[in-house]
Amino acid sequence: MAIGVKVVERPTGEVSYLRSTLSGLATTFRHLVDPHKVTVQYPEQRWPIAPRWRGTHRMLTTEDGKAKCVACGLCPTVCPANCIKLVPGEDEQGNRYPLVFEIDEFRCIFCGYCQEVCPEEAIHVGRHFENAELSRDRFVYDLARLTSQTHDVCELWDPADPKGE
Amino acid sequence: MTAPASPAAPASPPPPPSTVRLTIEGIPVEVPPGTSILEAAKQAGVLVPHYCYHPGLPVAGVCRMCLVDVEKFPKLAPACATAVADGQVVHVHNEKAKKAREGVLEFLLINHPLDCPICDQAGECELQDYTFQEGRADSRYREPKRFNPVEDFGGDVLYVPNRCILCTRCVRFMSDVAQDPVLNVSERGDRAFIGKAEGHDLTHAWAGNVVDLCPVGALLSKDFLNKARAWELDRSASVCTGCSQGCNVVLETRDNVVVRVKPRSNTAVNQYYACETGRLHYRWMNRRDRLEVPLVRGEAGVLVPAAWEQAIAAAARTLAAAPRLVVLASAGLSNEALYLLSRIRGPGGEGVFRVETGPEAPLAGAPDLALRADRAPNGRGAELMGFARHDQPLAALQAGDTLLVADHDLAGLDLAALDRAGEIVVIGTTLPGELVSRVAVALPTCNVAEEEGTFTNLRGRVQRFLQAKAAPGEARPTWSVLGDVAEAMGRGRAPMLPADVFAALAGDHPAFGGLTYAGLGLRGLPVLDAAPAGGTS
Repeated sequence: MAIGVKVVERPTGEVSYLRSTLSGLATTFRHLVDPHKVTVQYPEQRWPIAPRWRGTHRMLTTEDGKAKCVACGLCPTVCPANCIKLVPGEDEQGNRYPLVFEIDEFRCIFCGYCQEVCPEEAIHVGRHFENAELSRDRFVYDLARLTSQTHDVCELWDPADPKGE
Repeated sequence: MTAPASPAAPASPPPPPSTVRLTIEGIPVEVPPGTSILEAAKQAGVLVPHYCYHPGLPVAGVCRMCLVDVEKFPKLAPACATAVADGQVVHVHNEKAKKAREGVLEFLLINHPLDCPICDQAGECELQDYTFQEGRADSRYREPKRFNPVEDFGGDVLYVPNRCILCTRCVRFMSDVAQDPVLNVSERGDRAFIGKAEGHDLTHAWAGNVVDLCPVGALLSKDFLNKARAWELDRSASVCTGCSQGCNVVLETRDNVVVRVKPRSNTAVNQYYACETGRLHYRWMNRRDRLEVPLVRGEAGVLVPAAWEQAIAAAARTLAAAPRLVVLASAGLSNEALYLLSRIRGPGGEGVFRVETGPEAPLAGAPDLALRADRAPNGRGAELMGFARHDQPLAALQAGDTLLVADHDLAGLDLAALDRAGEIVVIGTTLPGELVSRVAVALPTCNVAEEEGTFTNLRGRVQRFLQAKAAPGEARPTWSVLGDVAEAMGRGRAPMLPADVFAALAGDHPAFGGLTYAGLGLRGLPVLDAAPAGGTS
């Protein structure tokens, strides 16, 4: 030991991995015979999604099929991940509407602030998470894609009913 | 109950014989007699919420928002229309005053639509701000709200009557300041709205100010409509480039694009106002067809991109080899750029410029304020730097002269004269198409929104403007490019900062003597009156 490293004798009985391995295996074998099953056969069977689950976005529409969004700019302002791109425009009736409304689902952190801040109840996070795609550019959802989604939307927390009962 | 009307409070109060001492929110203040409580409170650093009061307009006292509690007064007094008195004790934020303001806000919101999400004023709306600060959380009004359709007031102005709180600032501006009384308050009570005289439009050259004066989103600029939200804008102090008046403005940018020009108050130049021409004079700052890289004519006779060092060396070589140099300098360049150009020009050269002109449009109710005939910001500065003004500046060109075009627009010039030029060098934001086949070197520079500097207005006031956005490509500030070229020609050292150029300028030109770049502040200072036009070294 040229540099004088101090070697400490360790108590072999206390650092042996044998005991913890055995206790871990005991848990495994106990679940083998335990009637309480937690495994779900996923694509066929599903857990119910919580009512306040925040997943893939959805834009709600008015009766005539137009997006409810009035391009007020609050969601891009509040978005902590800067994933919403919004360009406002004006239609023939002089109403404000979004010319461009894009959400980058890769960048989104699914905090749900956009739904909470929206004064028109237009943009929502949805009770949906299966949004796999085969190419990366498909993850930027444009207005047409957001309005054509049909899944359930997240229920906001109601201060009058804090436990959701 | 209306107190002695004191119009336009800060407008040159003469040196008072005595002062009045009073206490506002526990802060002792000393103001000249006749000052309104609201202005005195401003001096104490206390903001009395208000809508109808504006320092540039006559006092109306109609909004009742500025009610304050003055001790020993039987009831609340409007701070805008009550003159101060010795020993007064004013409470702005006590329970009584707050309750009154809450009531006023509730009344104002009775017919005000909840359309902040689509209102352009949201984010810079005084009704929104004060309601948020001290208004009620909800409304007790259950009846349907009054509805009036949107009306086009002509010019750049759109009127949304539902949002109007009838403060009458616009009416007073048009009748007392613009003195073109086309607006009035029509109908009475809850049916009242701002009416426009039959057959007249808001086409007055200064009518756009009603949009700024409007404390809510009732009067909107059509140009800015739905373009951006107030909180997305980056603002920087600048000087209007629309004419030689030199109005102080704020350039508001979003994503590196100038989207709006608003006036910045300066009682020595433009009060609180900016004209329509100045407001709409920003699109050129965003133009895309810019010169973005330095170009040097190669061996094949074609312009090729070059590194900055080579391009500056090439420009300096061309300019130094000139038998006689003619500098065609834009009157839109800063004093700094024009000073460095005068160094490059040297004693033997000639400096010329042309200024676009248009009809003059004065603002009747403001002293010495007009949209001037000269539609360039720095014609006076160019003259002080020894540049001569011509209608056909290219006539100065003699056969074989080298021509330096410094950001000058070629529109309206006699381009046949260019054939007499020997070599042509361009230092500017764009490379005009007519010059592409003739130019030897072209150096890209920043425009006024992308650099900082100073302008001299027609009354000789030197005012600073600041950078508002980033320059495209490799463009560099004009003073930096010209400083490097001058150094490469052996005419002084290249400056590190615009303040260095200004210091050198102030040293060389007696008219600018005593001025410093930092000392100018953001409101500017006048050059010495004894300034001889065209005094260069």
